[in-house]
Amino acid sequence: MDSTKKYWKGLHERNNASEFVESNKHEFAEALPIEDVLEGAGLSAPTPRRDFLKTMGFGLGAVSLAACTVAPTKKSVPYLIKPEEVTSGIPNYYASSYKGASILVKTREGRPIKVEGNPACTINSGSLDAQAQASVLDLYDTAKLKTPLLNGVEHPWEDIDAYAKAGLTKAQAAGKTIAIVTSTVNSPSTKAVIAAFAAKYPATKHVAYDAISYSGIINANKNSFGKAVLPQYKFNKANVIVSFGADFLGSWISPLQYTKQYVSNRNAASLKSKKMSRHIQFETGLSLTGTKADSRIALKPSEESIALVNLYAELSGQATSAKLSNAIAEKAIKLVAKELSAAKGAALVVSGSNDEHTQILVNAINSLLGSYGTTIDLDNPSYQYTGNEADFMALVTQMKAGSVGAVLFLDSNPAYNYCDAKGFTDALAKVATKISFSDKNDETASLCDAVAINHNYLEAWGDSNPVEGYYSIIQPTINPVYNSRQAEESLLLWSDSTVKDYYTFVKANWEATVLPLAGKTWNDVLQLGFVSLPAKVTSPITLSGDVNATIAIVISESKKMTAAIELHLYNSVALGDGKQGNNPFLQELPDGVSKVTWDNYAALNPKYAQKLGISEFDLVTLKSDTYAIDLPVLFQPGQAHETVSVALGYGRQKVGKVGDGVGKNAYPFLATNGAVTITKIEGYYELAQTQTHHSFEGRDIIREATFAEYLENPAHGSGNHGEKHKTYDLWKKFEQPGHNWVMAIDLNACTGCGACIVACNAENNVPVVGKDEVVRRREMHWIRIDRYYSYNEENKSITEEKEIGEIEGKMENVSVVHQPMMCQHCEHAPCETVCPVLATVHSSEGINHMAYNRCVGTRYCANNCPYKVRRFNWFNYWNDSRFDNYLNNEFTQLALNPDVTTRFRGVMEKCSMCVQRIQAGKLKAKIEKTTLKDGDVKMACQQTCPANAIIFGDANDPQSEVSKALTDERVYYVLEELNVQPGVGYMTKITNTGLHEA
Amino acid sequence: MRNFSSGFKNLAKSITLFTFFIFSLPTLVCAQATAVDTSKAATSTASTAPSGDAAAGEALFKANCTSCHALNKRVLGPALAGVNNRHSEAWLLKWIKNAPAMVASGDKEALKIYNEYNQAAMTPFPQFSDDDVKNILAYIKVEGDKATAAPTAVTGTTASATDTGYSNYMIFGLIAVVIVAFLVILLLNKVIGTLERLLLKTDNAGIALLEDEQSEDENTQSKDKLYIVKKLVKNKKLVFFVVLCGVLTLGSFGWMDLWNTGVQTGYQPVQPIKFSHQLHAGTNQIKCQYCHSSAWKSKHASIPSANVCMNCHKYVQATEKYNGEISPEIKKIYAALDYNPETQKYGENTRPIEWIRIHNLPDLAYFNHSQHVKVAGIECQKCHGPIQEMAEVYQYSPLTMKWCINCHRVTEVNSKGNAYYDKVLAAHEKIKKGEKVTAAVLGGLECGKCHY
Repeated sequence: MDSTKKYWKGLHERNNASEFVESNKHEFAEALPIEDVLEGAGLSAPTPRRDFLKTMGFGLGAVSLAACTVAPTKKSVPYLIKPEEVTSGIPNYYASSYKGASILVKTREGRPIKVEGNPACTINSGSLDAQAQASVLDLYDTAKLKTPLLNGVEHPWEDIDAYAKAGLTKAQAAGKTIAIVTSTVNSPSTKAVIAAFAAKYPATKHVAYDAISYSGIINANKNSFGKAVLPQYKFNKANVIVSFGADFLGSWISPLQYTKQYVSNRNAASLKSKKMSRHIQFETGLSLTGTKADSRIALKPSEESIALVNLYAELSGQATSAKLSNAIAEKAIKLVAKELSAAKGAALVVSGSNDEHTQILVNAINSLLGSYGTTIDLDNPSYQYTGNEADFMALVTQMKAGSVGAVLFLDSNPAYNYCDAKGFTDALAKVATKISFSDKNDETASLCDAVAINHNYLEAWGDSNPVEGYYSIIQPTINPVYNSRQAEESLLLWSDSTVKDYYTFVKANWEATVLPLAGKTWNDVLQLGFVSLPAKVTSPITLSGDVNATIAIVISESKKMTAAIELHLYNSVALGDGKQGNNPFLQELPDGVSKVTWDNYAALNPKYAQKLGISEFDLVTLKSDTYAIDLPVLFQPGQAHETVSVALGYGRQKVGKVGDGVGKNAYPFLATNGAVTITKIEGYYELAQTQTHHSFEGRDIIREATFAEYLENPAHGSGNHGEKHKTYDLWKKFEQPGHNWVMAIDLNACTGCGACIVACNAENNVPVVGKDEVVRRREMHWIRIDRYYSYNEENKSITEEKEIGEIEGKMENVSVVHQPMMCQHCEHAPCETVCPVLATVHSSEGINHMAYNRCVGTRYCANNCPYKVRRFNWFNYWNDSRFDNYLNNEFTQLALNPDVTTRFRGVMEKCSMCVQRIQAGKLKAKIEKTTLKDGDVKMACQQTCPANAIIFGDANDPQSEVSKALTDERVYYVLEELNVQPGVGYMTKITNTGLHEA
Repeated sequence: MRNFSSGFKNLAKSITLFTFFIFSLPTLVCAQATAVDTSKAATSTASTAPSGDAAAGEALFKANCTSCHALNKRVLGPALAGVNNRHSEAWLLKWIKNAPAMVASGDKEALKIYNEYNQAAMTPFPQFSDDDVKNILAYIKVEGDKATAAPTAVTGTTASATDTGYSNYMIFGLIAVVIVAFLVILLLNKVIGTLERLLLKTDNAGIALLEDEQSEDENTQSKDKLYIVKKLVKNKKLVFFVVLCGVLTLGSFGWMDLWNTGVQTGYQPVQPIKFSHQLHAGTNQIKCQYCHSSAWKSKHASIPSANVCMNCHKYVQATEKYNGEISPEIKKIYAALDYNPETQKYGENTRPIEWIRIHNLPDLAYFNHSQHVKVAGIECQKCHGPIQEMAEVYQYSPLTMKWCINCHRVTEVNSKGNAYYDKVLAAHEKIKKGEKVTAAVLGGLECGKCHY
């Protein structure tokens, strides 16, 4: 309440542009033609009276005719022989794993419909990220091939096998290399299969190559400590975290794991024990991690390493010649050094750079801080990324030279994501036998002779070993939908292995290696999903190598990178490396910071863009010395000046209906040193942002405090000042004697990653609407994450003109608050009172119900909702050719949750508080004749949240987690002053104060 | 004159109908007579007298043997008719009392049977006395003889049926009747035509006069009638009343009709298999949940999968009703599963059974069987009607929201001994002392309980 901050959701709003103010008054993006109808009398109006009557007459006639038809006969086809474990109507859960982390796959009548984290898993503790949540749609991807291809024509497996075997034998006989190109393989069984294959064909060479490589860290560790591994970072053990461009909460190595660790030092429980970590972020573009930082300093990419050099110098007491051009950053480095040395043993410095020398410098800094053994664990390394692009580069050279006889691509798509795609394509043409194990005819597969289509992970057996001592299993949850075959099985067949069946192979492999170590049986593993061995004891390590020599290299490298405009490439949180490019859930997931969907863009600092004479959504050409693309410009507050950020993972060409041609491919820029030119070109391209939709007009909805203030008074900034002014109700109190379902959301924990949005989409059959509809503000997400920028106003009484002046200097230094927003299930819901047909009413359990079949689509409720969380179905998204990119086919419709109605055109919908889960939980308790315990019912968003920011439960149970959470001093209710009595409480965001106080 | 001719036509019609009956009667009588004959023949062939106590044997046989054996059909074990001839009585005594022991001892006959029937050992019956076994064997002999006689009788029936040509006879008769009737009508028409012509020629003037007089009379009468009608029409009160009545009747009929749009009470489609609930649930008293097992635990009661049918219908083949043949309806289950009752093997060529769905709740309404069956303990019949009396299932309840809600309003919650309700009711009783706790009180009328 007494905050001096101003919040805004978009620059339009901040600048109070007149068009924005005007458009903001309206509920919907398009104006209704009321004026036309009223003024344009008679036949001159767009819809003349006669036409209207004709249409009406026809409509009435058609309706009465339609009503005369006999009700259609519906068939009911039971199983012939019902599998014992299947009871129709009751889901089965199977333990499996996605990218190493153990998951539970919910299947209904034999088809997977939802993926959830395995609560027992030591990596994700039951939570999942957006990509894993969306992965179930990949199974029902219509772009998948139905049968294997040979020379682009469908062929039976025998032909593929004959082709492969002939090619491999020929290559072997000619003494040429047989290359298996994969992304990171951390599956023990796949490794064993490749070993068996190599035994049959000794010329085999396995090349692991990742689109997003972490080889810099691996090589640096080899150099510094003799251990070529990716360490495990322990953000939970760090009191001071300094990140140089590492987006560890969004996309860096293992964000799910790090979010859990990071939040454990910043959540409600930690605050109660008066502890909170410090997090300082130096970066170019505003990343998800940057939005959570206590202090964030914008830096050019070339200066990140210089900043590290300075930090090392400060910590080691040496002097350095390299100076930062940015005075704020220079001051910040000094303060950071002080803080870090004060927190020795509980400090952590990470860098997002993939440059070996920069990472050696980071190792040196962490050594000085005593991080090894405490916040960095080299003895229990991570195997999540083991790829090495140097190996791949060598292979490409070999291919060019014609010494490669056969090449097999497993889970790898270099034609799309290799920086020198052209060079690779040319080299590939010189290979005689080219086989891809892709499940679709993607960029690389279409260049191959044979596509031996692989199973989706939900159809396959497998395993993985993402971190030391942690092994997880992949088990099929559905019979292979198409005529696909597991890649490992193909390899086994081609190597004439005695074991032809991959299931038997995996089982035998586990029984021989992992199971004896864990003392578990195969059936235990199938049930649990993973095996976790005790962590190895960390051994003390010493840094070897000459740091000063490294510094010299780093400085010279940085000089090479310095340019007038520096390009910063990053991974978007939603799409990652672009592998799931055909996934509509991920394409429509708004970026955590920019809230852009369905595109990548050139992010520029608004002030810098003005200097360049570029306005938002202008098309520009980004040109390096070898590559150029045209992208629309997005104004991104917090972006470093003289830099432009572009997301990787877009611009797929052969991925399917959804992802083809969405955005532009930025991978080729990886080949350059980052210097680009920006030229404005003709054209305007509106990005589909969910950002400025549903504005709050500057109301007091975000509340925050600094950690110091919090320690003084936990209620600081929350607006809870003991006595509240008296309120008067128009209505009688509605009793909730049984249950009273409420929610508490910790703004300090929420990182804005968007996993909850995708989980909600999958659970509640929320339609994907596509770019055009998002531009029209018609996205259907039941839960959204509002992102508010802010900066401190020193002077409380500045006028508006002055405020704009203020922005000028502060566009680089913004802070961000993420606020998950969904239906607040108000006690005095304004939507309920305006519904003319009582389609939305209150329940005795505190939930605002929405009866779709009763709704007539007046949209009054959406107009009257102060939170703007109601969504209108403008189309039948599941049965309309305009929405071909999502559900408009019977195959993808199999992913729908059968317990939730698919909504029809013309009705409202909104967060139901997963009422189907509540009802199912209650019924389970009733059948078992037990009470409903706290935690028995979990919301989809709550269940998947890696930060545990969402707590749901029964407020009538004083012992429930949510009851306790809502008694927290930080709790406030959004727009409480309207006396709508929302059912969702928010906890103030706490910032561990600025650098000047450190 | 027209009156005359039309009257004549009516007469012709009745004549045709009558002739039809005359023709069809003998055919019916004939058919009945042949049926009686064959039944007589069947009873007379069962001649040989039983040697042991077949009556006592029958009881034992039905209690102990029928789960694996039939007389004339291979079930799990061999068909037993003629077993007395195949094996010696001493051997049979030993075998029935303890078959596995005989197999173990390496008896040749025993091993042969054991291997022939998929190495499934016959259950030992040590509790049988020698007399018991003899009684059973006597029963088998008597019944076996009957059965061997029966097939000839059966073929006799079918043969006689084809001889007399029951259906053909009818068809020929019908065709004959139609032809005769047609000829009669043609003839009569001709007669009428000539008669009319004759009359017109002779009495032309007289008839015209008559007609004129008649029309004049009618005119005066109609003037009077119209006068009354006009008078009534002018009475505005009456008109209003009539119109009101009309509107009300039409309106109320329309209203009721509209309310019943989409209500399909009584919907009784023809199912691919003539499964009778009357027989299974009524006569045989099989519990509903034996087949609809998921009604206890799931939202769906589920049509049972064919393997559930096979639990019984592997042996129960209703051959007695179909003259030793397997019931054609049961054969449909076998066909769906590609099951060969002779070899007892399942094939690959399966075909799911496509039942017609009778109870169609719209997608927008969520209904859960387990909530009603398991938690509330409601009888299936409450909603599905006297299912145990339905030879063919029909929709008993309207399945309208009004019907749901009315029940929720009056039905008390079955909360006894359910810890879940104890807690919820404790909170409720603070405000609702002594009132009946219906589903509605616990929020059973709220939209979101069924619509989501």
